[in-house]
Amino acid sequence: MDTFVQQLVNGLTLGSLYALIAVGYTVVYGILQLINFAHGEVFMIGAFGALTTSLVLFRGQTALWVLPFMIIGAIIASVGTAVLMERFAYRPLRNAPRLAPLITAIGISVFLQELVRLNYDHVPFTSWNPFDLPDAKSRIPFPQIDVVTGPAFQVSGVTIQRSAIFTLGALLMCAALLWYFINRTKMGRGMQAVSQDADTARLMGIDVDRIIVVAFALGAILAGIAGVAQGLQNNNIDFRMGFLAGLKAFTAAVLGGIGNIQGAVVGGLVLGIVEGMATQYIPGQFGGSPWKDVWAFVLLILVLVFRPQGLLGAKAVDRA
Amino acid sequence: MIKIPNIPESVVVKHGSKAWPLGLAGGGLLIIGSLLSWSGDPQVLGDLTISFNPGGLQIMAIGAALIAVVLLVTHRGLLNSLGQWADSALALRALASWALLFMTVVLVAITVEAGGLVNIDPGGWISFLGAVLLFAASRLVLPKETRNLAEARLPGWAEILVIVVLMAAILFGSAYALGLTDAWEFVLFLVFVTGVVITGIRAGLLSWLGHVTTRHKHVLTLAAFAVAFFFPFTQNGSDANMSIASQVLIFAAAAMGLNIVVGLAGLLDLGYIAFLGAGAYVGATLSMSAFATIGWKPPFFVVVLVGGCVSGTLGLIIGAPTLRVSGDYLAIVTLGFGEIFRLSMFNLDGNNGPNLTHGPNGIPAIPDLTFGSFNFGDTHEVFGIPLARFSNYYFLLLLLIAFIILVFARLNNSRIGRGWVAIREDEKAAEAMGVNVFGLKILAFVVGAFLAGMAGTIKAHQDVSVTPDQYIFLESAFLLAAIVLGGMGTIAGVLIGAVILKLLPEKLRFFADYRLLLFGLLLVLMMRFRPEGLVASRRRQLEFHEEDEELALRVESDIAEVVI
Repeated sequence: MDTFVQQLVNGLTLGSLYALIAVGYTVVYGILQLINFAHGEVFMIGAFGALTTSLVLFRGQTALWVLPFMIIGAIIASVGTAVLMERFAYRPLRNAPRLAPLITAIGISVFLQELVRLNYDHVPFTSWNPFDLPDAKSRIPFPQIDVVTGPAFQVSGVTIQRSAIFTLGALLMCAALLWYFINRTKMGRGMQAVSQDADTARLMGIDVDRIIVVAFALGAILAGIAGVAQGLQNNNIDFRMGFLAGLKAFTAAVLGGIGNIQGAVVGGLVLGIVEGMATQYIPGQFGGSPWKDVWAFVLLILVLVFRPQGLLGAKAVDRA
Repeated sequence: MIKIPNIPESVVVKHGSKAWPLGLAGGGLLIIGSLLSWSGDPQVLGDLTISFNPGGLQIMAIGAALIAVVLLVTHRGLLNSLGQWADSALALRALASWALLFMTVVLVAITVEAGGLVNIDPGGWISFLGAVLLFAASRLVLPKETRNLAEARLPGWAEILVIVVLMAAILFGSAYALGLTDAWEFVLFLVFVTGVVITGIRAGLLSWLGHVTTRHKHVLTLAAFAVAFFFPFTQNGSDANMSIASQVLIFAAAAMGLNIVVGLAGLLDLGYIAFLGAGAYVGATLSMSAFATIGWKPPFFVVVLVGGCVSGTLGLIIGAPTLRVSGDYLAIVTLGFGEIFRLSMFNLDGNNGPNLTHGPNGIPAIPDLTFGSFNFGDTHEVFGIPLARFSNYYFLLLLLIAFIILVFARLNNSRIGRGWVAIREDEKAAEAMGVNVFGLKILAFVVGAFLAGMAGTIKAHQDVSVTPDQYIFLESAFLLAAIVLGGMGTIAGVLIGAVILKLLPEKLRFFADYRLLLFGLLLVLMMRFRPEGLVASRRRQLEFHEEDEELALRVESDIAEVVI
């Protein structure tokens, strides 16, 4: 029983992270029917934003009050990236064939990874490194913060990491705020209107371009927070972390029903739990952590076969 | 593109008459300067220090000057009758701009490499001045009306001769380019080639060639293959370039296979490298390597078929569920599949599953192919020219590419190909017209996978070892980039794209670190400014520029031409 609860806790932790990222995919898809493949990179840059804030402004400081600043730094970095990417890469392709934005997204993804890898430790085209930042070609240790990292709690045989509580808490808070934003503010209702019918929404006086930017920014805020959570959990970050996390988060979004925000949260948690359980309960050689990613993708394929609209129902899946 | 602003009309009218002598003077100076020494340092850019013994770059400069003179004479003078066909003024503008760029880069290269402007000899300055004069003259030349090039015909034998000469130029050009070891020289050669090609486009030469090649399609195809076939014979037994060339061919073969899936049927497959990998693992496992886990070695053509079938089956398994939903899902699911493949090959090492692939170590020491007594690892002499290991694989791969191109072309011109285009352009409309959408999509996916599997079996033998980290997502992205860069759904375009993407990094080692960064940027910029690729089929161009009325009319007239 203990192992079951333990895996449930592990799965929920992992799942909260997926859910935070998955919201970004689903919000943008709901409005533009675009899979923002580069969203994983937004998450990665969020983590680097937090790291930079900590290294530049509070080097060596581990008190809890640093954490809000790191989160703000992460959000600035990730939202900036997402908004720029929308403005300069996606917006000109609004009416292009569907293949075009997807290929662009791959390009952005590779570009951002390399930008961080090559240029993190110096100003581009120079060797000037005013803040003594580390080289990003290998893993960089993430700053440890009092209270949220440190020795794990033991609750009757189940280990609960402090960072896990932070991640789950962050998800709950973000979900509540997101719900409030979407359903109770003018902008959020505008977003719903655009996702139902962009042309009609425009006729009703909604600035569709602005709503789209807001959608990208919204996803980026959550991805930035997820970046901090990932850093605290893994103790280190690297420029590649966005790829697999993005892929998993997309799986979560599809699992819950893409375009459906509650679905993304549910899908993320379910995917996390499935991964945790697969590690523990798939017998024989194909169990264990080396295969957990494989099982996650197998789940994605199974969902597409049997329930392409996802667990909670997608906004739009055109069946051929 | 950078637009050089036009000179005000008043200036052109006033000084227009001076353009012709000015241009001739510029061309003359460029030639004289190139015959003299350019730099004082023999270590720089090949040896450009000896007067009246021009080096490779100086010959290029002289060539450009000669073309400029011919264009001037076409504009007004001896070859005036040719001027009614060729737009010599626009061509001259392009040529002069590129010649100026060429000379500037030469001077920069000498300054940087030899350390200081003092190393530039008078010849270099004279050539540079010539390029400047030519540039000034080209700005003053007025464009003329030209006639429709479709009406320009030469006798049949002459047109065929033009094709043969062109192909020979490509053969020796590429052999020369591969032989260049200095990055600056290579860049300058690229500048030269680009300049000449753009001049050709501006003069209308390329569209005339287009008409010629459509009249002699089979000659062109044959000539192209002849060029590719004779390439190893230009290498004098050196295997270094052949190693690059055969890598390029594997890449091109995979890109052509993916072109069926992405270019014809419009299905974005982001895990295509996994199919190549599946073929490679089949080839390695059935090779009797000391590390192979199955002790069975059938004849190689059986291995190729097994490789193709395994890949095709994987394609079926992955395609059947996902091809029913919209295309975006397919992209991500194939991406996931690519990861599943890589992780599985990584894990099947005996600890985490049955030992099939030796996990991260892969299967090394794959023996060379043998057909009867012909061993691919040995050096064979043909007409006194030694052809070493990579040349042998090169010929085999050429055969494979020919087969893939044949499959591509035959499918493209069939009912199936038209069905794919219909699906790509509008899936719902295609279905309404009675196209079997799901069946055709599956077919495209499986055919693509099958061809990649075949290529993979050869790749395993050529690379000697197979490891999971050869089949990462980036490789799939590179294949896709080759197609996007060259032109989706075209044969020539994708081949050019594959050559560019694989050859440039090999030759330009100095930007090795920035390769991926530029590659990402290139994808974004291509989609933004020229989504149809370098070589675009007209119909494809129209898909990306729907509101371009003029283009629509041209496509219509093209179709009408074909029907008549």
